[in-house]
Amino acid sequence: MNALHEQFVTEARELIHQAGDDLIAVEREGASPERIDRIFRAFHTLKGSAGVVELSAMILSLHAAEDLLAAIHGGRMAVTPAMIEVALACLDQVSQWVDDFETQGGLPVHAGQDAQSMAGRIRDLLSEPTSQTSGRSDRSASESAGKDAVPEWLTRLLAAERSKISRHLQEQPGKLVALWYEPRPGCFFDGDDPLALIRAMPNLLALNVEARGAWPPPAELDPYACNLRIQAIAAGSPGDLAGIFRLVADQICVIEIPSEALPGETGARTDGDGRAELVRAILEEQRRVLNAVSRSDDMTGRVSAAARASVNALGYCQRIDLVKLIELAVKPAIALSDAAVLISAIDDALAALASGVGDGGDDTEGGGQLLLSGTDEAGRAATRLLRIDEARIDTLFNLAGELIVAKNSLAHLARRIEDEVGRNELTSAVKQSHESIGRLAGEMHGAILQLRMVPVAQVFRSFPRLVRDMAHRFDKKVACVTHGETEVLDKAIIDRLFEPLLHLVRNALDHGIETSQQRRAAGKAEAATVTISASRVGNRLVIEVSDDGRGIDPQIVRDKARERALLTAEELAALSDEQVLELIFSPGFSTATEVSDISGRGIGMDVVRSTVEQIGGRVSLSSRVGAGTAVRLDLPLNIAMTRIMVVESRGQVFGIPMDAVTETVRLTPDRISYIKGNNAFVLRDRIVPICSLAELMNLPSAPTLPAGSGLLVVIEASGKIVAIEVDAIRDRFEVVLKPMQGLLSEARGYAGTTLLGDGNVLLVLDVKEIVP
Amino acid sequence: MSVRRHDNGQIILEGHCPAEDAETLLQLLQANPESPVDWTQCSYLHTAVLQVILAVRPARIGACGDAWVRQWVAGDRL
Repeated sequence: MNALHEQFVTEARELIHQAGDDLIAVEREGASPERIDRIFRAFHTLKGSAGVVELSAMILSLHAAEDLLAAIHGGRMAVTPAMIEVALACLDQVSQWVDDFETQGGLPVHAGQDAQSMAGRIRDLLSEPTSQTSGRSDRSASESAGKDAVPEWLTRLLAAERSKISRHLQEQPGKLVALWYEPRPGCFFDGDDPLALIRAMPNLLALNVEARGAWPPPAELDPYACNLRIQAIAAGSPGDLAGIFRLVADQICVIEIPSEALPGETGARTDGDGRAELVRAILEEQRRVLNAVSRSDDMTGRVSAAARASVNALGYCQRIDLVKLIELAVKPAIALSDAAVLISAIDDALAALASGVGDGGDDTEGGGQLLLSGTDEAGRAATRLLRIDEARIDTLFNLAGELIVAKNSLAHLARRIEDEVGRNELTSAVKQSHESIGRLAGEMHGAILQLRMVPVAQVFRSFPRLVRDMAHRFDKKVACVTHGETEVLDKAIIDRLFEPLLHLVRNALDHGIETSQQRRAAGKAEAATVTISASRVGNRLVIEVSDDGRGIDPQIVRDKARERALLTAEELAALSDEQVLELIFSPGFSTATEVSDISGRGIGMDVVRSTVEQIGGRVSLSSRVGAGTAVRLDLPLNIAMTRIMVVESRGQVFGIPMDAVTETVRLTPDRISYIKGNNAFVLRDRIVPICSLAELMNLPSAPTLPAGSGLLVVIEASGKIVAIEVDAIRDRFEVVLKPMQGLLSEARGYAGTTLLGDGNVLLVLDVKEIVP
Repeated sequence: MSVRRHDNGQIILEGHCPAEDAETLLQLLQANPESPVDWTQCSYLHTAVLQVILAVRPARIGACGDAWVRQWVAGDRL
């Protein structure tokens, strides 16, 4: 199953779940326009996603349901219990198919027929004449009147994309901006493409395109008279849109969305009682549905759907104990083809909820949402997805880190016992026990790390579209190719990768890739290619952004560097072409002759380097004039474990991150020479300055030690190479590095601390900061 | 030409569909109101072309090849 299919399954389940909840709420509390709109949208989106994965039977069913909802939405029909019944049945069917799609990669053979009969059932309802068009409640009118500050259309749009917007706000809290855009009727003649402007909006969250006036019949339609109204919501502030819409400023209205109108801020935060009430309602509904099931009906689908809804609801109010109760009842209910087992389990859960016994509501604030999917009937293993708040994983992860530290101290203890009592049965038993605990702790740590691993597809996914939009703006022909999307990286790294990649891709499009004419003249294919690839190299992941553009001319870089006084002429002359290319990563360097609105503000490549280095990665660049440029990001798979080397100087121990260390050397005094007021030595034709760690750290001198042990740790940081003289090199091991906290967080020169096996704190140096 | 009528009666949108295609598409739809539109092969739809589809609402074959339209417009309003 590829990433697209996985995404479909996850999203479809969310939508089914959401639409089901809303349908039940409509039945219970009446149909508010917002709710109907939300259900309508959920069905629409479901149908759209089913189209993407080409499940035609699912589209057929959903299409019919959507027509029914459209009739309700448009006020042509009033909601009846029969409609809710059939809409829920349609959801059940779709839910079953999603499970089938996940486990078998397709729909069952009879899906087409089932879809036909479902569509028939729905269309029967549609053809029934109903005259209750006045059924839309008065309550909804008073509801919307209360929100004067926010225009009605915006409220509707916010409601329609509520889940998406609140998800976005959870991940990236910030401002939202709404746009109302009525393009002039004659805009197409002026060469305007209104939606192209919308396409250029960063962080689009919701969009509605509708007719401004009723559409004339096709025979009278003027294809060049724009009759559209566009409403959009995006993350950001009004200022972000100014540049994009500056040429149509007279046709737009931009509103900064007040935070009280945002989903999840005020409205969605229900108190514990509200939650319990909702959960009770959902459970009662499941019981009702199950009671109505006759044996001839699709028992399996009904039972698993009801169980899933109950489990989700109970998960929502954090009653994991009751979730288990329901789960235990599912299999027998399906096996016996008798819903009674499940009904009684739901009754038990309802009773437990009513009595409030064992209320697990200790932490109900916006915590983990439990989404259990694919209750399997015939032992087919559908994946169970558990959505867990990231903070909880982090807690678990920290605990595993502590466990490793505790395990290290056990090693120390085991050695001491052996030293004191000698080797005997007891000491070897302690040692064995230590080893197995060590293995388990390591495995646990690894397993928890795996929880945080996500495919790079998450970042790569947006690039083909971004490249197309940017290429459009630069008036260049560019295709974006991605490889290795399934490679995984720690979430913390993935989250910080988008910006650097965006910079690189922008640079490639703006500076690297030539215009079509230039490419033709150079005998290249008119359409350029930007390739973003990920590949696993040992314990690292290499992400490469390459283009087949004009490449970087070292001479131009030299000229620019001189112009910007980054280096003196002599320094420049001493650099090889490869070293010159490295200058692109210097702060304040930009090769763009003109500053464009997309890239070339003189920031960029230095930001790329510093961001990547912060997450423990390295950036390198290679380029051939006329053939293209490739930037390689060499990334660790996770930033959690750091391999360090423990060194000693004047009796004190320090850790040095191994990724900075290139080698260790022991020198005889005759190889050390005194150059420019500093000790140095020659290492493979390079002069390497020597600094004493004791001097760098201002350690008290110890006259008993001979000056200069000759033991050097060669370090490469920020492109410089330095040898640090130490008294001794002790261990090398992997540690969980804790950042400096409290008062110490201000201390420079330290990357963090870790606990040693003997309980001592080890300071780990940030070599970049201590090396002069 | 990025819009044409296939021998089998389908109207096909292909590749980058500029504003000019709106008129051709409308003429084809006026002449053949029952023809379904296959838009799976189009990579970019100009707003004017999309407007014709929104206004006439012909039967459509498959999902729109323009991923942006598919994600933001076709999934909801069509």
